[in-house]
Amino acid sequence: MKQPLVVLKDVWKIYQMGEVKVPALRGVSVEIHKGDFVAIIGQSGSGKSTMMNMVGCLDMPTKGSVHLKSHNISELSESDLSTMRGKAVGFIFQQYNLIPNMTAFENVMLPLEFLEIDDAEAEKKTIEVLKLVGLENYMHHLPSQLSGGQQQRVSIARSLVTDPEIILADEPTGALDSVTGKEVIETLQRLWREEGKTIIMVTHDLNLAKYAHRHVELKDGKVIDIRENKNMKKGDTK
Amino acid sequence: MKFHKSFRHALNMVLHAKIRSWLTILGIVIGVAAVVAIVSLGEGLKQDMSSQLNMLGGDILTLRAGASRAMMFGPGREFGGSTSASTEEVVLDNKDVQALKSVSDIKAFDTQISGRADIYYVAEKGSATVTGVDPATWAQITTSEVAQGRMLGPADSNVIVVGGRIADGFFKTQLGVNQMLTINERVFRIVGILDDSSSNVYMPINMAYEVLDDKEKGVYDTIVIKVKNEDEVELAMNNTEKRLMLSRHVTEKTKDFSLSSNQQSNEARSEMMSSMTTFLTAIAAVALLVGAVGIANTMFTSVLEKTKEIGIMKAIGARNSDILLIFLMNAALIGFIGGLLGAIFGTILSGLLPSLMGSTADGMLSRLASGSAVSIQSIVVALAVSVFIGMAAGAIPAYQASKLKPVDALRYE
Repeated sequence: MKQPLVVLKDVWKIYQMGEVKVPALRGVSVEIHKGDFVAIIGQSGSGKSTMMNMVGCLDMPTKGSVHLKSHNISELSESDLSTMRGKAVGFIFQQYNLIPNMTAFENVMLPLEFLEIDDAEAEKKTIEVLKLVGLENYMHHLPSQLSGGQQQRVSIARSLVTDPEIILADEPTGALDSVTGKEVIETLQRLWREEGKTIIMVTHDLNLAKYAHRHVELKDGKVIDIRENKNMKKGDTK
Repeated sequence: MKFHKSFRHALNMVLHAKIRSWLTILGIVIGVAAVVAIVSLGEGLKQDMSSQLNMLGGDILTLRAGASRAMMFGPGREFGGSTSASTEEVVLDNKDVQALKSVSDIKAFDTQISGRADIYYVAEKGSATVTGVDPATWAQITTSEVAQGRMLGPADSNVIVVGGRIADGFFKTQLGVNQMLTINERVFRIVGILDDSSSNVYMPINMAYEVLDDKEKGVYDTIVIKVKNEDEVELAMNNTEKRLMLSRHVTEKTKDFSLSSNQQSNEARSEMMSSMTTFLTAIAAVALLVGAVGIANTMFTSVLEKTKEIGIMKAIGARNSDILLIFLMNAALIGFIGGLLGAIFGTILSGLLPSLMGSTADGMLSRLASGSAVSIQSIVVALAVSVFIGMAAGAIPAYQASKLKPVDALRYE
């Protein structure tokens, strides 16, 4: 058995809200392997976003450990965490989170700039991923000049540009209508099947979850169920 | 992130900035413009002073009757009328001339009277300062030089030397050497034109007594003294003073004349000018400081406003140092743009100020008006200082921005 890509071991996250301590995660243990398409499902407040933030090195566990590519994220320096986020993880957010005064092209190229990839290579890669999501004709548009679906595709392109192993999608279709939402989720599925990406998607929508091959269900900060989705066969991972 | 990329992002931030950023820049512009204008004026003044000091000659003493005028600015060239109205009996006369002749430190002296008189050229009339000088010594003592013709000589009587302005601009026609001017019903021939822009007329003192009505023959307004050794002006001054006190039967306390050196009055003047410049610069610096507070304020607001963007950047791989650098450079750029515009406006302002001042003020201010010097050095310093101010003011906000936690920043709306 290969080393899992992401390992959460008895992870607790407790938020201090004034004088009250609010536990968001209570002893979560999950393993995610390369080539998985995992849907983290659960109702609002079940802790799924918190869990995703840990996997994406955006947040630290209060207790327990998160290993990403066999690094314990609690032991990494802030600068290493940044590099880890930049190289190993690509984020897709519900609200797209593009930088408003940068064009689609600049937004997509930004992660490469942080990694100090040289310009010629970065531009080539940027154009490549924008073509992949079908936006080659919108490269020099600002986010405000793009539709929601197009913006989300820019955000997908941005998450792909560093060629990360893991793509984290937080309610990726939450702000889209059902048709564009379907396009986006199909793009994700294609990335999983054809590019062999590991995809972790947070959603409360069971219709979306059916595109994933594994479901992790959270409730009140605890994993209550992990099941394979029999309709979805795991893609041909390299 | 590479440096030039961070710079581009910072520049982008400034260019896409709201009107607030431009107002902040305006604050710096005003501060820097004020500093540059005042410093250049002061610099111009200093250069002007030192050139005047050289021109006026450090070896010249001026003797006047009456109470001490040591604090007077300048040699008092336009000093019309009697030397002292309150002490009518106190005058300079032949006794003083005799006394001066016996002072060994004195090389030469020139007895002068001066006053206003009407001058005519053909049918045109004007009023000018007429100075009667000792034709034998004037040429060797005065620092004025002729542009055309010659200075007065010992044998001259009905001739005059005029200032540059009398020859050019005073009358409708331009005057040249050998042309005739009528002063108080006497006709004078111009033998020399000075290369200055004064409207003075110089003539032998004997003629001046006749032209200037209220002057009593044998009484002098001023005596200009040239000392033998320029390095021993102080000594010469002391000796002259002692000798005069003796001949005029006065003591240090009852002294009824004043002896001042050009060196002294120039020093007093430049001291006053430099303290004035320092004072004005301090005020301008306060303006600059307020500008810096403005930058800090804008940067804090900007960090708040960009919290979400900072979160996004961190999520896609920005290190703390990347964020720090972008915000620090943003602040530095605001400072730089403000400094650049400020230096440009300051330069324009320092060019305009003298003419503005010159039109309304005279005396000391017109000296100020004589020019300003904007040096490349002062511009570079102004730019460096404003960039530094920008970075110093932006340091804390930029540090705060870099320390934001990505989760919190992303959640910020």
